[in-house]
Amino acid sequence: MPLFGKSQKSPAEVVKALKEAVNALERGDKKVEKAQEDVSKNLVHIKNMLYGTAEAEPQADIVVAQLAQELYNSNLLLLLVQNLSRIDFEGKKDVAQVFNNILRRQIGTRSPTVEYICTKPEILFTLMSGYEHQDIALNCGTMLRECARYEALAKIMIYSDDFYNFFRYVEVSTFDIASDAFSTFKELLTRHKILSAEFLEVNYDKVFSHYQRLLNSENYVTRRQSLKLLGELLLDRHNFTVMTRYISNPDNLKLMMNMLKEKSRNIQFEAFHVFKVFVANPNKPKPILDILLRNQEKLIEFLTRFHTDRSEDEQFNDEKAYLIKQIKELKSVHEN
Amino acid sequence: MHDSDSDNYEGSAVLGMCCNGAGSVHLARYKPKNTHVVIKKFNMDNRSHEEYDLVEQEIIMTRQLQHPNILPYLATFVSGHNICVVSPLMGYGSCHDLIEEYFNEGLPELAIAYILRDILHGLEYIHKRGFIHRAIKASHILISTSGQACLSGMRYACEIVRHGKWQRTIHSFPKSTTNNLKWLSPELLQQDLHGYNEKSDTYSLGMTICELANGVVPFCDTPATLMLTEKVRGSAPHILDRSTIPPNTMDTEDDENGEKKLVCDNIVGDGNASSSSLESVRTRLHNMSSRKFSEPFHALTELCLLRNPSDRPTMSQLAVHPFFKQCRRNDESLIEILRCVTSISEKHAHSAGDYLVALSTEQLVDLDLETCQWDF
Repeated sequence: MPLFGKSQKSPAEVVKALKEAVNALERGDKKVEKAQEDVSKNLVHIKNMLYGTAEAEPQADIVVAQLAQELYNSNLLLLLVQNLSRIDFEGKKDVAQVFNNILRRQIGTRSPTVEYICTKPEILFTLMSGYEHQDIALNCGTMLRECARYEALAKIMIYSDDFYNFFRYVEVSTFDIASDAFSTFKELLTRHKILSAEFLEVNYDKVFSHYQRLLNSENYVTRRQSLKLLGELLLDRHNFTVMTRYISNPDNLKLMMNMLKEKSRNIQFEAFHVFKVFVANPNKPKPILDILLRNQEKLIEFLTRFHTDRSEDEQFNDEKAYLIKQIKELKSVHEN
Repeated sequence: MHDSDSDNYEGSAVLGMCCNGAGSVHLARYKPKNTHVVIKKFNMDNRSHEEYDLVEQEIIMTRQLQHPNILPYLATFVSGHNICVVSPLMGYGSCHDLIEEYFNEGLPELAIAYILRDILHGLEYIHKRGFIHRAIKASHILISTSGQACLSGMRYACEIVRHGKWQRTIHSFPKSTTNNLKWLSPELLQQDLHGYNEKSDTYSLGMTICELANGVVPFCDTPATLMLTEKVRGSAPHILDRSTIPPNTMDTEDDENGEKKLVCDNIVGDGNASSSSLESVRTRLHNMSSRKFSEPFHALTELCLLRNPSDRPTMSQLAVHPFFKQCRRNDESLIEILRCVTSISEKHAHSAGDYLVALSTEQLVDLDLETCQWDF
């Protein structure tokens, strides 16, 4: 307790005050402005306890532990996320900062907040649906990516039906929201290798039929980013089964061949990195082999002229030479 | 509220390039409201993924800031291969433009006081929200026709708060920052284990003050390594008036090294200093050595440029510095000081033409398609 100045509120008091204020905000009483002010004030209070200020260090672990316990018991985290739109601009960011700090809490190897959220998955679903709303999308994004660092939470998110909404979010017309959603989407699919490999295998048809839409998007950035991510996913050794399945489908090959000659150089280049997997496959299924054979001459000529200005990119030139050689040596199965 | 529908924006003139040539800046009209806006276009197709990340990071960071002295992004959208960012038109352009076109020897002290007061508030907010700007310079300070100064250039900023913790020091070096080195603090440039914090911005602000007052940034003709050595040694640049220009600086031709050379670098400015006529240097020197800045102005600059970061004031401490008393005492507003300046919308009132030219070259590039047809 400080001897001078305002006495410090205890964690229980400040959580109680914040909860009352959020409840008032939710009810939408006449005194909305007052409620909003109270919410902001108490959020700053909690934030300062956790982060410290220019003048004061963060509170001792014991106080933070009490604060976290109060937050779990009062269900305040869910309440805050549910009412995020009603909180003012700076307050929304404070919610995210408080949330992310509490989420990181550790006792030995345990992460109590992660365990708590596992019992309250509504928190995650509410955050994911935050991308529907312009005013809170980026705030929800920062919290979601922090959640995605934990395998248990990432698992709940990717196995939920709501996950497929991401295919819509990453394509919305507001660039900052679309690209933020894409970062979260990517984090969910790449952070935990084994988890996501299993997920992609089990849900292959559903995921890739959705993914096809992204690759054909009207939005250049969506197309470019999703193509790049596709390349990364297929070339990750954890996703071997998924890759084998992907490169057995002639429609996928056709799509990549068409993307090779898109007018965007960047898309051509990313498509090259997916296309090469089809060609390098030692066990090409017949439909794939047939397409490559039908276009053998054209492909050789096309690849010879393909991105010739990348002379200093050694790996690319080696790969290109390898592909040309492979395609030249292709023979139909009957001739053998 | 501005929307993200590209059809609602109609470009009218190219204003210039930005972010080291990564983007082009266009004057445009927002059709639903018939207002002027500025659109920054980043053509992403000839850019690397690192460049994409920088553009994305700047946009997302800026969208989460709301302050009257920070340039807002009203809307962002994708159009063709471009990422487009809409911001309000800042009619008098950047302070760098103002210096280039109208105030070669620097802006008047009162103008700097007004501008600085606004920028300090913006920076105070940025720091409070947990960011370090890392690129404060005259070209990132924009002036509206109502006389308000706004800070832009969040492209180079970094977060102090990472993964739920407030970092005491930062060690990362800003990306693609070659053009900003002159303004950066010694501790940031040194890249050692001590790292740096938001006080680094205070130093950059000091360099910007010199730039605004002298017409050129200190060390502008000094090679980067020498500049770093000078800063680390603690050599502090000054705002130039009769109290800080050494009496015999006129004899520049005999003296190629030392303090005097540095002062000259500060005064001459442009890269081809040696070829610029001695006469114009003399005139410049003469004008500068006959002016007088106030004591508080010198004191404020000195405080910002202190070698030891913890000795430098924070933005909130600077905001109450006696230097700003003149803003309250004076009747002349910033707009009145800038009355000789032609605003951007006046300048481009009748130039819808060049934008169409720019558009058509873009379409020509698109015509260069692959003609090869696959046989499926």
